[in-house]
Amino acid sequence: MEIAYYPGCTLHASSRLYDAQTKLVLGEMGITLNELEDWNCCGATSASKTNDFLAVAMPARNLGIVEDSGLSELVIPCSACYSRMLVAQHRLASNNTLKDEINAELSKKVKGDIRIMSILEVLVPKVESGELAEKAAKLLKGLKPACYYGCLQTRFPYNVPVPDDVENPQGMEIVLKALGAKPLDWSYKTDCCGASATVNDTDTALRLMSKIFEDAIARGANCFVTTCPMCQLNLDAYQKQMSQKYDIGRSMPVYFITELIGVAMGKSPEELQIDRHFADAIGLLKELELI
Amino acid sequence: MAGPVLEFKPEDTQAVVDEVMARSGQNITACYQCRRCAAGCPVGEETGYVTPDRLIRMILLGDREQALSNELVWKCVSCYTCGTRCPNEIQTAKITETLKYMSKEEHLDPLLPKVAAFHKSFCTAANHLGRLNEIEFMGLYEMKNTFRNLIRFKFKEIYNETMAQAKLGMMMTKKKRMHFGIEKVKHLSDLKRLLKKAKRSGPLTESDKSRST
Ligand code: SF4
Ligand code: SF4
Repeated sequence: MEIAYYPGCTLHASSRLYDAQTKLVLGEMGITLNELEDWNCCGATSASKTNDFLAVAMPARNLGIVEDSGLSELVIPCSACYSRMLVAQHRLASNNTLKDEINAELSKKVKGDIRIMSILEVLVPKVESGELAEKAAKLLKGLKPACYYGCLQTRFPYNVPVPDDVENPQGMEIVLKALGAKPLDWSYKTDCCGASATVNDTDTALRLMSKIFEDAIARGANCFVTTCPMCQLNLDAYQKQMSQKYDIGRSMPVYFITELIGVAMGKSPEELQIDRHFADAIGLLKELELI
Repeated sequence: MAGPVLEFKPEDTQAVVDEVMARSGQNITACYQCRRCAAGCPVGEETGYVTPDRLIRMILLGDREQALSNELVWKCVSCYTCGTRCPNEIQTAKITETLKYMSKEEHLDPLLPKVAAFHKSFCTAANHLGRLNEIEFMGLYEMKNTFRNLIRFKFKEIYNETMAQAKLGMMMTKKKRMHFGIEKVKHLSDLKRLLKKAKRSGPLTESDKSRST
């Protein structure tokens, strides 16, 4: 099975571990990821806040590249890139003038007929078909993750089809349960971590994160799991500062979903690059004898 | 929470309502002030009294000045909670975006200049090489902040800001989360042309009639 793959800037920079894990884990399940030739930045949230035309035009170039490659499915692990591409495709489909205006400048024109998938849309069917469990070398016993979706995995500014429950998504829970973990029910799974506010409005972001931590801890979680590199970096890199300010009193590893699948598959921490976390992520796995 | 009394300016009302509705694509006249949006807005506690319902009310009452510069416009984190829950499918994030464009066109000082500097720097850096270089982006962003603080003699802020970013940068380097290589799109010409078009057309008005939410 061959799928087009858009890593996006983050997976080629601060979240390279997510790129490596995605390739490793999906590869193990027989999925070949075909990285888009000469892809560009999707514009993230910043384009939409600066220039709305760019917010559609930047993703459009990438969509044209996928269509030109002949592949009909595209996976985007980063929630922000996923959201931006999905929204751009929707807006192109509903506005021919805009589409023509953008296509006039593109060497690879966009029609808008490929299927854009988040990483969960690739993983969940693999649970249902039993392929994921088949590849698991061990069960994630003792792991009680708070699955954190953040904003961009299920909420969109336009009417695009959402493949999961908007307020109480289950994709990550389905995957982790199949691997023997015990994901918890909790209230902040789709609350905002502050996104770029960690940098440009730090106090607001720290307050938002404190609520997420307080609820997860109160429910008895021993780690966070996420699909979004922005959420991962925020909850991880700003954790210490937030904990001190809000007196949280304990540290929590923040894993990518691919990281835990990799552990279940028996991959080594080195291959999965688990040492690249701010809050210790190795300790818990050792304590539970998972690595 | 009680906020200041909103003013009604009948002579200005239609113009501002029409402009915001056309540019954001949001039908704000459908708002019946149920405040479901306010209940879920994560920054609602930080914006004084301005929640999405209040922002919409300001616009409907024609209070252009307040609508253009209040904390929600700049603190909105585009989480889309309000729009997902609104029974009338009003996406306030599209309205705060629109109000940011409008305040920029009127050369108003952004209420949270760091937010404006952040998004501008991101777009400049992303379009320079076609892919975002995190170091270039943060460099641009801090240059903007430093310059703004310099001309206002806010030296302590420059120090705090620089220290915070340096600390983050060092931590990221230590955790192997910082990458110094340069990635670049090979065929930049498409992007350059699109960028030119974007600048010419200015911030896009929401001409597409696709239903938001
Ligand atoms: S939820 Fe919608 S209708 Fe209700 S107050 Fe907010 S914007 Fe108005
Ligand atoms: S999108 Fe903005 S206004 Fe709406 S709930 Fe989120 S932060 Fe509040």
